Amino acid sequence: MAEEIRLAQPKEYYRAFLEKEVRPDDRELGEFRPTVLNIGCVSTAEGSSLVKLGNTTVMCGIKAEVAEPRYGRPTEGYIVPNVELSPLSSPNFRPGPPPEQAQVLSQNMVDFLDTSQCIKLDSLCISSGKLVWVLYIDLVCLDYDGNVMDACTLALMAALKNTSLPVVTVDEDTGDVKTHLSTHSSLSVDSCPVSTTFIVFDNTVLLVDPTREEELLATGAVTVVTEGDNLCSVYKPGGSPLTDEQVEMCVERAFVRGKEATALITDTLCSIDR
Amino acid sequence: MASFIVLTEEQQRLQREAPPEAVLRCLTSELGCLTRQDGSASLSQGDTTVTAVAYGPAEVRMARERIDRATVEVVYKPKVGLPRPVDRKKENIIRNTLESAIMGSAHPRSAISVIIQETEDLGSNLACCINAACLALLDAAVGLNFMVAAVASAVMEDGKIVTDPEKKVEEKAVAVMTFVFESVDHKLVSVLTYGKFTQEQYKVCRDLCRQTAQSVFAFYRESLEKKLLKTV
Amino acid sequence: MADKRVGNVFMPGDVLEDLQVSESVKKIVLGPGLIDDGNRIKISKPGILRFREPGIYWIDCHQKRYVPSKGDSVIGIITQKAGDIFRVDIGGSEQASLSYLSFEGATKRNRPDVKVGDIVYAKLLVANKDMEPEVVCIDSYGRSSGMGVIRNGGFLFNASLNLVRKLLSPQCALVKSLGHRFQFELAVGLNGRVWAKSKSDIQTIAMANGIMASEFMDNNQIKAMCKRLSRAVSGMEVE
Repeated sequence: MAEEIRLAQPKEYYRAFLEKEVRPDDRELGEFRPTVLNIGCVSTAEGSSLVKLGNTTVMCGIKAEVAEPRYGRPTEGYIVPNVELSPLSSPNFRPGPPPEQAQVLSQNMVDFLDTSQCIKLDSLCISSGKLVWVLYIDLVCLDYDGNVMDACTLALMAALKNTSLPVVTVDEDTGDVKTHLSTHSSLSVDSCPVSTTFIVFDNTVLLVDPTREEELLATGAVTVVTEGDNLCSVYKPGGSPLTDEQVEMCVERAFVRGKEATALITDTLCSIDR
Repeated sequence: MASFIVLTEEQQRLQREAPPEAVLRCLTSELGCLTRQDGSASLSQGDTTVTAVAYGPAEVRMARERIDRATVEVVYKPKVGLPRPVDRKKENIIRNTLESAIMGSAHPRSAISVIIQETEDLGSNLACCINAACLALLDAAVGLNFMVAAVASAVMEDGKIVTDPEKKVEEKAVAVMTFVFESVDHKLVSVLTYGKFTQEQYKVCRDLCRQTAQSVFAFYRESLEKKLLKTV
Repeated sequence: MADKRVGNVFMPGDVLEDLQVSESVKKIVLGPGLIDDGNRIKISKPGILRFREPGIYWIDCHQKRYVPSKGDSVIGIITQKAGDIFRVDIGGSEQASLSYLSFEGATKRNRPDVKVGDIVYAKLLVANKDMEPEVVCIDSYGRSSGMGVIRNGGFLFNASLNLVRKLLSPQCALVKSLGHRFQFELAVGLNGRVWAKSKSDIQTIAMANGIMASEFMDNNQIKAMCKRLSRAVSGMEVE
C-alpha cells in the first residue's frame, strides 16, 4: 500500500513523513547518508578516489600531463575537471553529448577549485613560459542516487590529496625535458573545502543530502562550500525564495559537515600511509 | 583642460571609513526595441549592456513538454565565440531563477523562452542579464508570481564593499557575490559567490544588495509606466 | 463605483487590498491579470487597472502573444488535414482543431471546400489551459454568421492584442475614418490577426500601414493620419 502511494502521490507520501521530522529512508532532515571513501583505487592514475554517498557512487581519476602554459599565464599550470553523467548511472541520461547537468557540474568543479584556491596554480609550473603541469580530472558517476555535487567535491579533494607527480626537470641550455619516474612529490593541497547540498521541499522544508527521489520533488536547492571555519561559497540557483534565517541554518549545518568530511579524508589518507 | 578636486587628509579618512552605500550605476532600458518578438528589452547598467527577448507561451517540443506547468528555456549568447560550460551554468541559474518567478501552472504544455545576448560586459554581467530577462518578460506580459532583481557586490582587499561593481573593480576584488531578490517578501531567490569571504561580509553584502534591489524594482515600474501610459 | 486606483499602473507581485465595489453588487469579477490568493488579490501581469460596471476589474496589459479564450472570434490558418479534422494555427501555444462538420451546410457527404493554407474566421468553442483548443465556423443555430473560409485575396497581417481590441471598440475612430475614404473589407481576429482587402493592392497596403500606425494614436491623430493617407494613395494610383 505504501509503495503505491509513493509512486502515485510522492509529495503526499513525503509530507506524511516530514510531519514527524523524519524521511522515508529513516534519516533526520539534517542527516547525511553513510559516506564511504576509498583512496588510490586506480593504480594507473596519478591520483584517484571513490566515494559512495549512500547509493550515489562517484569515481575520480587524475591524470597529469605536461603542456605549454596558457597565453598570458606563463607561470601557472591548469586544471581541467570534467564530470561525466553517463547512461550507465541512471536511465535519465541518454547516450550522446553531455547533458546540461553534467556541463553545469563541470563548471561548478572549476569554480569550486578557483574559489577555494586549494591548489596554487604556480605550484604546477615546471619551467616558466615553457612547460607546466596540466591536471585532467575525470569525475565519473557510476550510480546516480542524488547529490552528485557533494560526492564529486569529496572525491575531487580526496584524489587531489592522493596525487603525486614525478619530478620533471628542463635543462635550461638544451631544452631537454627529463622525467624522473622513480621520484614522486605530492601535490601541495593547502586546504580542504567541502560542499554541502540542501534541497527545498514544498517551499519550506530544507533537506540535506537529497536522494534522487527527493531531488525530483524539490522546489529549490542550495549548495554551501566551507573550508575549515571559513565560508567559501553560497550557491543557490533560483528555486523557491528562502528567508535569511533558512540560509543561515544551511551555512551552520555545512560547517558541521565540513569538519566531518575533512576528518574522513584525513583518516583515510592516514590509513593508506600505514 | 582637466580639473582637479583637492581632498584634505580629513576628507580622505572620512571617505575611506564611510559605510558602504547602496548605489547602482545609471540604469537605462528600451522596452519593445525588437518588433518580431513577444517581448524584448535592452538594459544598460552603467556601460554593461544586455539585450533579452522573451517568447511565450508558445509551442513546445514533445520531449520537453511538462503536463502541469510551462517549460522555461533560457539561451545565453556570449558576445564572441560559441557557448561554453561557463555560459551553460549562467543559463542554468537564470532559468531556475525565472522558473520560480513565472506562473508556469497557468500555461501547461507550453514553452516560455528567454534569449539573452551579451552586448557589452563591463561588470555585473550576470545581474544585468537577470534584470534584462525580467524586463523582457514584463514587456511580453507573461504572468509572473513576482518580479526579480539581481544586484552584484564586490568585497575589496581592504574590506570595502562596492555594489554593482565595474569590471575593473571586479577584477581586483577578493570576492564577488550576486544576489537575486523577489519583489513581494524580499526573500532570496538566487545567490552566486566567487572568492573567499567571511560570514559577516556575506551578511553585509546581502543586506546592501537587498536595499539596492528596491531601486531596480522602482526602475522596472518606471519603465513599464512609460510604456503603458503612452497608449490611449 | 470604481475603486480610486483604477487607471494606475500595477506590477506583478503587487497586492490589491480592499477592492471597492458598489453596494448593489455582491460579487467582484476578476479579469485577466488578477489572481484571487485567499484573502487578497494579487497582480500577475504589468498593466493598467480598469473597471467596468457592474463589478468587473481587470489589468489592461500590452501583449502580443495570444492565449486562447472561450468565445473569442479568431482568424486561423489551416495547416494540416488529418482525417475528419483540420489543424488550425491560431497563434497560441497549441494548434486548434476544426471539424469538417463545423461549417454551414456541411454533412458527411457534402464536405466543405477547405484546403491547407486557407484562412478561416472561426469562434473558439473549447479553450482552457488543460485541453487542446477547438474552433468552429458555425454558431449554435447552425448558421455561419460571417464565419468560414476567407476567400479572394486580401492581406493578412499581425497586430498586438491591444490594437485589435482598439479596432473593435466603438470609441475608436479608425474604422469610420478609413471608411470615409476607402472601400474595403476588414476581418479582425482577437488573436492579433487582421485581414484587409481593398479595391487595389496599393490601397490595401496603405490601409494595413494605417492600422499598424494607429496603435498609439488618439482619435484626432487618427483622423489626421487617415486624411494624409488617402491623399498619398490618390497621388500614387495609376489609373
